[in-house]
Amino acid sequence: MINKRLIARLDIKGPNLIKGIHLEGLRVIGDPQDFAKKYYEQGADELLYIDIVASLYGRSNLTEIVKKAAHDIFVPLTVGGGVRSVGDVEDLLRSGADKVAINTAVIKNPELITEIANRFGSQCMVLSIEAKKQDSGMWEAYTDCGRERSGLDVEKWVAKAVDMGVGEVLVTSIDMEGTKKGYDKELISLISSSVNVPVIASGGFGEHKDLKIASDAGADGIAVADALHYNRTSISELRQHAIDYDIPIRRW
Amino acid sequence: MNKFPKRREINIDDFKSDKPVGALYGLPSEVKFCSRCIISNQRPNSAVEFENTKDTKKETINFSNDGVCDACLVKESKASSIDWGERERQLVELCNEYRSKDGSYDCLVPGSGGKDSFYQSHILKYKYGMNPLTVTWAPNIYTDWGWKNFQSWIHSGFDNYLCTPNGKTERILTRLAVENLFHPFQAFMMGQKYLGPKMAAMHKIPLVFYGEDEAEYGNPIDDTKSAERDFSYFSASDKSKIFIAGTSLDDLNKNFGITQGDLYQYMPVDPDIVKKEKVHVHYLGYYLKWHPQSCYYYAVENGGFIASPERTPGTYSKYNSIDDRIDDFHFHTYHTKFGIGRATYDASQEIRSGDITREEGQALVQKFDGEFPERFADEIFNYLSLPKKDFPIASKMFEQPIVDRDYYNNLSDTFRSPHIWKYKISDDTNKGEWVLRHGVWDS
Repeated sequence: MINKRLIARLDIKGPNLIKGIHLEGLRVIGDPQDFAKKYYEQGADELLYIDIVASLYGRSNLTEIVKKAAHDIFVPLTVGGGVRSVGDVEDLLRSGADKVAINTAVIKNPELITEIANRFGSQCMVLSIEAKKQDSGMWEAYTDCGRERSGLDVEKWVAKAVDMGVGEVLVTSIDMEGTKKGYDKELISLISSSVNVPVIASGGFGEHKDLKIASDAGADGIAVADALHYNRTSISELRQHAIDYDIPIRRW
Repeated sequence: MNKFPKRREINIDDFKSDKPVGALYGLPSEVKFCSRCIISNQRPNSAVEFENTKDTKKETINFSNDGVCDACLVKESKASSIDWGERERQLVELCNEYRSKDGSYDCLVPGSGGKDSFYQSHILKYKYGMNPLTVTWAPNIYTDWGWKNFQSWIHSGFDNYLCTPNGKTERILTRLAVENLFHPFQAFMMGQKYLGPKMAAMHKIPLVFYGEDEAEYGNPIDDTKSAERDFSYFSASDKSKIFIAGTSLDDLNKNFGITQGDLYQYMPVDPDIVKKEKVHVHYLGYYLKWHPQSCYYYAVENGGFIASPERTPGTYSKYNSIDDRIDDFHFHTYHTKFGIGRATYDASQEIRSGDITREEGQALVQKFDGEFPERFADEIFNYLSLPKKDFPIASKMFEQPIVDRDYYNNLSDTFRSPHIWKYKISDDTNKGEWVLRHGVWDS
């Protein structure tokens, strides 16, 4: 069985690591490099950087931050936010990113998925989805840090995107994000059962049992952010709990 | 009184010129932006709404000689010179003086169940041991999430009186406030402002707590020197000087069929009654350091407050002022009159609080300010319309009782001031469009 991954998520705005609730009320936490090094030293399997205001400026601001991170950190880095073109992907990969996560640009132009997959391989084309449950029961995909509706049904969108060449799906639940109420397990299992590529669950980690819930729902990677930033737990503690829950995971 | 015309003409040449003359509303003729936040010097101070008519000259936010607005100066002085430990001690003393011994209400918190009123009432009850009664003036039209948050607030442990005003009167007043002042939120604001002190007097509750002082947003600094709110904002002794929706009480009655009884909730408080019941109005923001973003966190953690499911049109935010569908238009009209939209307002506050940088604020304003609020537009136009069947008297005062997009746009143009707006003719298409003469993104 393939090991599941513990991923530290770092949302970035300008030079700062930030965190919100429902992707809103963004609080400045500190220097992303300090946190990234800490999570790496604690044994994170992967780091996830998302530039949360990139859409506002229409450009990614992460190149420098990623360059710095790649210097000290030797686990895969997934980077997203403001990526709009094959050229942007190339810049980030050159800076040290291993994978690139894209939301807005591929919603506007799904062909970009195929272009990126053809050029760099599917393994580095991560589809980022910000999902919010609607009264009708469906999940709608949002853009711009959970602020704009796209009108797309997540279930249909993810299937189409994977057909076009997506190699991994990062799904952030806007409803659960920052609330500490646990992952949206229905959303995770909806996605993981409808596609055959790895799924990273993000948004809502509260207690250690949430690892099991996400894993049982089908997550291959589990992203944790504010519980780590605010020191409510550590990667090492998460790993120990994952082992206790019999989640297949790298022994550190 | 003349009928409100179907169409109003403006002199477009005033707006084509590069050197415009005449600033409306007594606004400063030169537009400037604060060098720390991004508010412009066109921002009017809170007005005594019952004196507001179309001829009222606005007092505006003060800028220091080196170009810093009063709101930033207040923030700076709060950060450096205030002993918050001492202020909290004063709050405890005030609470000790008024706390009831028999469980009866000892303070009143007017609010909507938004993040700020949630924080206010919750901390007064659970940290300072008070017995607050909460009172709410209903929005014109609730958003679904506003209603949910209101319910969450009550269910986090508060008694509440919800005052929902007579919809017929509220619609006529709101329409008149749009026609006279281009201010679709005025009727709501008046009802809301006066409800707290009125309910306190009625229930013999000695203490009313508001949240943040208006000076946080740029009213005169002197307002912050005391915890007590100046009664001139909500009480009046002479009824002949009262205007609601820019219309005298006499006209409201004669021409629009609105009786004295219909207006009870919109009338400022009689100062004698408030004095007799010894009601004191305090700002909790005087005693406790106020950070709107922290109130959001507090309300989520202690009561399940939810942000709105999408950003509010005209801005980027989804956590403040989200419960009334007409609010989108409140800021759209504000942008038309003063060149200041919701993004400017939100970003200025967040810059002062240290949550975002000025550069980010400039980009946000350039992207979102003044955006037309499409999502509830048809519903709001319908709300502002006064069909003959439902409004047999008031509808006669309008050549066109029904508000549609053209009507709104035409009315909108008559409230533009030439020193803020330019009517620019495109070289390519020869079509005209409205553009701001001054953008904070260039400053």
